[in-house]
Amino acid sequence: MNRTRIILRKVAWSVFTIFFVIILNFFLFRVLPGDAARAGIRDPRLKKEAVEMLRVRFGLDKPVINCFESLNPIELGSCNVNPLDTQFFIYVRNLLQGELGVSYHTNRPVAEILSERLWNTVLLIGAGQIFSIILGMALGVFAAWKARTYLDYGAVATSLIAWSLPTFWLGIILLFWGSSNGFPLAGKATPGMSSMPLLQQWGDIARHMFLPTLTYTIVYMGEYTLIMRSSLVDVLSEDYILTAKAKGLSAFQILKDHALRNAMLPLVTVIAINLGFTVAGAIQIEAVFSWPGLGSAIFEAVERRDFPMLQGAFLLIAVAVIIANFLADLTYTWLDPRVQVE
Amino acid sequence: MQATLQTSEQNNSLAARLLVFWRVFKKSRTGVIGLGMLVFMILVAIFAPLIAPYGRLETISVSDIYRPPNALHIFGTDDAGQDVFSNFVYGARISLTVGFFAAFISIIIGGIFGLVAGFFGGRWENFLMRFTDIMLVIPDLPLMVVIVALTKPSLLNIIFVIGLLGWTTTARVVRSQTLAVKSRKFVLRARAIGAGRGHIVSRHILPMVMPILVVQAVLVISLAILNESALAFLGLGDPTTLSWGQMLNYAFGRGAMSAGAWWALVFPGFGVVWVVLGLTLFGQGLEQVLNPRLDTHHLMPSRPNVRKEAANAKPIPSQALLEVQNLSIHYVNEGQLPARAVENVSFSLNEGELLGLVGESGCGKTTLMLALLQLLPSAGQIVDGRVFFKGVDLTALNEEEMNKIRWSGISIVFQGAMNALNPVRTVGDQIAEAIIRHIPTYPREAIPARVTELLDLVGIAADHRDHFPHQYSGGMRQRALIAMALACNPQVIIADEPTTALDVMIQAQILELLDSLRKKLGLAIVFVTHDLGVVAEMCDKVLVMYGGVTAEYADVDVIYNDAKHPYTVELLKAFPDLTKPKKKLSSIPGYPPRLDALPAGCRFAPRCPAAFDRCHTQQPSLHRIGTHGHIASCHLAEVGSTVPLRRIAPRTQK
Repeated sequence: MNRTRIILRKVAWSVFTIFFVIILNFFLFRVLPGDAARAGIRDPRLKKEAVEMLRVRFGLDKPVINCFESLNPIELGSCNVNPLDTQFFIYVRNLLQGELGVSYHTNRPVAEILSERLWNTVLLIGAGQIFSIILGMALGVFAAWKARTYLDYGAVATSLIAWSLPTFWLGIILLFWGSSNGFPLAGKATPGMSSMPLLQQWGDIARHMFLPTLTYTIVYMGEYTLIMRSSLVDVLSEDYILTAKAKGLSAFQILKDHALRNAMLPLVTVIAINLGFTVAGAIQIEAVFSWPGLGSAIFEAVERRDFPMLQGAFLLIAVAVIIANFLADLTYTWLDPRVQVE
Repeated sequence: MQATLQTSEQNNSLAARLLVFWRVFKKSRTGVIGLGMLVFMILVAIFAPLIAPYGRLETISVSDIYRPPNALHIFGTDDAGQDVFSNFVYGARISLTVGFFAAFISIIIGGIFGLVAGFFGGRWENFLMRFTDIMLVIPDLPLMVVIVALTKPSLLNIIFVIGLLGWTTTARVVRSQTLAVKSRKFVLRARAIGAGRGHIVSRHILPMVMPILVVQAVLVISLAILNESALAFLGLGDPTTLSWGQMLNYAFGRGAMSAGAWWALVFPGFGVVWVVLGLTLFGQGLEQVLNPRLDTHHLMPSRPNVRKEAANAKPIPSQALLEVQNLSIHYVNEGQLPARAVENVSFSLNEGELLGLVGESGCGKTTLMLALLQLLPSAGQIVDGRVFFKGVDLTALNEEEMNKIRWSGISIVFQGAMNALNPVRTVGDQIAEAIIRHIPTYPREAIPARVTELLDLVGIAADHRDHFPHQYSGGMRQRALIAMALACNPQVIIADEPTTALDVMIQAQILELLDSLRKKLGLAIVFVTHDLGVVAEMCDKVLVMYGGVTAEYADVDVIYNDAKHPYTVELLKAFPDLTKPKKKLSSIPGYPPRLDALPAGCRFAPRCPAAFDRCHTQQPSLHRIGTHGHIASCHLAEVGSTVPLRRIAPRTQK
């Protein structure tokens, strides 16, 4: 099978998964109790006209989908309605136009708020991923190379402990330490910094980023170390490493030219699978450090029962993870020539 | 692991199985530590009312908020004036309960999905695995947050949400294990005799999937505990109970940070770390039982070479191109007696000569060859003897000096059927690499042409140069390895069973190729094989090894016409002779000795048709026979020996 077909198949699969998430996201908020919009409409103090007006405003006067007037409580309805005039299709159409509804709390479009916050999360996860991958790989390579020495045992023990730390708790501990060492405690920038020169602004952001990124790095580094180590030990016990050694290559050359690329393959898979967990870490870290990203958007939306915000943030996170997964999959195809002919 | 499984299959009582398991498990120090940590915290949770000095959620005094640890409150007090230690002890109950029950749900769902997908295959598998893939990609904590936020945050809801979203990896792991077990012989046999599906799953597949399910469960429990604490911290916990996460939520949200009350923040999280770390270590121990890994690899240095002779002893100078003097090699594993893989082996090789190194598998041939290039695995150690190459003692060189001799002086051809070529680099690239390494002055632009020339030499067309090893056939890979071995014009080539696993036609081609290269390029070759017939045509000298020692060493004519060692004679009988087509072939009953259980006397004695009493008690020394360097280690070859070799009369004709 050639490369284009493999990529096309993966694209199709990702699109399908995104569609699944959209459906899930829509129905979760219709099936489960607790949507404030409907709860508000049921308020007995509201006049009938006001209720009707709100229903029209939130689009609740339309059936959820063909045959169902409402899902919680379940009310059957006519199946002979124009599918394009149901809540579900209006939701999908709005999504396609980039509409995610209006936040209850700020009364601003959710899409607008999230697009501001998306980049802060990308910044945090990006920096954290880069550091944890680099450090984890370095430590893993080192541990594998010096396998069964005290250096190796030390690296493995450190990684196991790092893996066992609850992300938010490590964040709290570091915040505690940072608070007495002059680090900023919350947010992304000191208020009033925007009037300062650009370089100083960046320095300020970097200072704010230090503790969240450190938390992130420690938590994910452990896992990357362990995977890199076991993967590299596997590769280094392959016959072709003995061939390389017999060819007179130095240990460094063997690692660089023969082992690392092959050992990277499992790591890439894990990085891809991890992206979901990574977001979990980001939510916790952003909650602890009040970092204005998607994670804290979720955190705040839960606190304020701001459901359009919660729905939008979840959708955006899920779609981002699916796309990142797809990209990691592509990297895998590119790293391993054998995938092409399968 | 195989051994434990077999014994556990025989002993069906649970106690016996557990005993067998424990005997293996206790060897893993990390596993035992983890289990200890886990059991400790479970006991704390069970006996919470006895351990906790204060009641559950008992406010001691509202004015006693955020008191630092003291004699009354060893973990201090929290925002509500409650004893942190007591809450910690009761919190263990909540956190562990949620973790275990949620994981139970996940394991049941994942286990059923995996079993059904793996066992039934087809549409079921397709549907379930696609669904698993989708659920695997959707980030779980955000989804949990959404669901818990939309429902009531009660303990039961949290257990179900975590449980219902945590099964994906289990389903995958169980499916692949089921697939692996399904095609095993005993399952196929059960199917063939018409056993029902239910019977096969419950009696044959489940027992084999169970161990992996247990390891998976340990991981799932720890993830569930981490998820519960994160949810509780994010404000989605059951506010009426106080899990460790909930304690942190209250402390963090109610000013512990600004009050400097580290104790309210540190201890609850420490509980989570304790349990998760315990589970992780326990899981590592289980893994070690199920899937023992040696954790050794080719970059680990072997043990330093030593020599028995006095430090100031002068080596006997060597005139030959390659000369091995009294080489002995042990494999040393901690807690075990060293395995004497090679003992007191000597041979020499001159330019253009071909030495056949013959013996069954497990006789130390490969170990000897790896030792020549100082490539022994980490447990290997040269315990005596020297290796001379052009008068230089290779056993005295350091790694850097040795690297210069590898490939440019002595190169080695491994079995190409194995994974001797790097799968992610093109064959041409791997050949070029050797040239760049050893001949740095070689003009870069001329290297592709040189690689093509080398491939041409072994009969591989130029357009295969930039192909990957998986695009080559087995014979081509073997020839590519030979081309690679020739890349730096070495004087000696070691061919380590290069024709095993190849079909007869290809075997003949490869042999012919090596022989012609020897004549054309004046190479000296050590040809390792377990088949005397293979080397009969082309070699000059033959070294027969048995159980790590020299059985016989002589010119090829002597070996074929006047073999003295019964092992050589038996080997000769084991291959067909074209001049005597009616002659019966015979094989030698039994196997070479295990290196950790060598017989007391001659290593061949247990299988030797001519063995007598002395052979079982005394190891024969090397006896020189005649003047042409014919050596045999057999009591029968002793000078003046009168014991006739009646039963194994050597053939007189070739």
